[in-house]
Amino acid sequence: MNAVEIKDLYKSYENGKIKALNGIDLTIKEGEFVSIIGPSGSGKSTLLNMLGALDSPDSGVIKVAGKDLTSDKKLNQFRAEKIGFIFQLHNLIPNVSARENIEIPMYTQKISSSDMKERALKLLEDVGLPDKADILPNKLSGGERQRVAIARALANSPSIILADEPTGSLDSKTSSKILKQLIDLHEDKNVTLIIVTHDMNVAKLSDKVIEVLDGEIISPYENNSLINNKINV
Amino acid sequence: MSFLKFIIKNPFRRKTSATLAIVGIAIGIIVIVALGGITDGLINTFEDTIHAGGADFSISGKETGDSAYGTNTIDASWTDKIANVTGVDEAYPIYVVLTSVGDKYMKSLIGVEPKGITLADISIKEGRIFKDNANELVIGDIYAEDNDYKIGDTIEVDGEDFEVVGIIETGDQSMASGVFTSISKVGELMDDEDSISNIYVKVDKGADAQEVADRIDEKYGDDLKTITSIMEMEQMAKMLNMLQGSTWAISLLAIFVGGLGIINTMLMSVFERTREIGVLKAVGWSNTKILTMIVGESLVITIISAIIGSIIGYLACILLGPQIGISPLFTPKIFIQAFIIAIIVGVIGGLYPAIKAIKLPPTEALRYE
Repeated sequence: MNAVEIKDLYKSYENGKIKALNGIDLTIKEGEFVSIIGPSGSGKSTLLNMLGALDSPDSGVIKVAGKDLTSDKKLNQFRAEKIGFIFQLHNLIPNVSARENIEIPMYTQKISSSDMKERALKLLEDVGLPDKADILPNKLSGGERQRVAIARALANSPSIILADEPTGSLDSKTSSKILKQLIDLHEDKNVTLIIVTHDMNVAKLSDKVIEVLDGEIISPYENNSLINNKINV
Repeated sequence: MSFLKFIIKNPFRRKTSATLAIVGIAIGIIVIVALGGITDGLINTFEDTIHAGGADFSISGKETGDSAYGTNTIDASWTDKIANVTGVDEAYPIYVVLTSVGDKYMKSLIGVEPKGITLADISIKEGRIFKDNANELVIGDIYAEDNDYKIGDTIEVDGEDFEVVGIIETGDQSMASGVFTSISKVGELMDDEDSISNIYVKVDKGADAQEVADRIDEKYGDDLKTITSIMEMEQMAKMLNMLQGSTWAISLLAIFVGGLGIINTMLMSVFERTREIGVLKAVGWSNTKILTMIVGESLVITIISAIIGSIIGYLACILLGPQIGISPLFTPKIFIQAFIIAIIVGVIGGLYPAIKAIKLPPTEALRYE
């Protein structure tokens, strides 16, 4: 089954002056790890926002996790249940602990406080931070904050994780650690992972690479050899 | 962590701003509580005065001046006639005479039926009520304190020795400075047992005092007048309306200023947390949830303000009121009113910033630096 089905998707800003997406067609299978690459302003973040139902297209069809995002309402519920977001900056809430940050998406579900706590602690364990539950974000390192953000993205057991430059603000050592953890979680939990990145080293680890330029997909690479060729060129 | 706990934690991220907002609204609440207590205290004092010790109005002779303790007399038989007027529950006579009391050459001696003093809104602080026709006095607590009298002391009244058997306590200043004995004793002292000064009237429960007074005026207007109470009632009603009106005007001003303060605080808070609101939208929070959070945070500030303001307003009135001669009266209504106002200010103050927050497109909020 497909996690994402996009047909002829258009999106423009400033009364059509800026064409962010210019007729995108894309299919992503469930459980796939896909990287979206391209230069700044190419439309990759707009595409990611469309996939996460944070923005709506001007025209075209976009189905994510079986839901038609152009016609269906209650998109916040869809985001809460199906999507986990990871941002370049961790975007953790500063005055609540690591555990409480992970619990924030759970407020959209009917879960008791004790179940929320239990689930958040399990996720902290999954990302390797079992002893940081009660620590405020400003007392954590950059890598630890991003791991908490990953745990927060997994809070409601989503079927798709959308990550916008998740390692963009980290040093290379921490970056590869975080990436490995993200890939492990994607495999363990069979979650579709879609990453927007500039980093070819990230892209080469994915099952599929989508290159976007001027709002169009110019080359989907289905396997690592092709992407390796691309990197080597 | 519960959603409620999250809401309670949030306003204190910016401690200075939250504290300033709390101080601003608490000042408004202090004004509301203090003015409410003072106004109710004044109303209570006026009512004590107008009701002349528990009565709804008083009746005096046609020629008597407007004073509640007219020194001209009417025939004692009027008491029974008044008692029979429709709507009158109780009518009891008072005989006020000017005579030598203690070291005062001229002081009012108030003759009351023992039952009359019980009917009045007076409580015995010490001792007991005088017996009928005995040389016994009951004195007001202010009079006792000023002259250092206590139970068992003897006071010379019109050349006769009287024993102080009771000290009364009342909110009415004139009663608290009074000297009381039985009406029959006053009659005996004056050698005039058929005269009285006033008749105090208590109307039936649920009856309109004004209507009953009108009825008495209509029936016995040639000989008696209820003008004392009626005039006072009208004047008091006007005065009380003005007092209550002023309290409300000041309260509204406090609400307005407090409301602006909280809107400003919450707008700043939403502005500073734009990206965070974007994250909350991204993780699936509904607009209703975001609105509940922001209005809830605003309510946390205003409810804390209401608690602090109520305590300070109450203590300030209790401590400072007596120094300026005011006995504030605090009823639950004042505090309920203060809390309702705080809640209204909280909701209104939080609503506008909350609407601004939910209108923010998530992609724009997430891009906010």
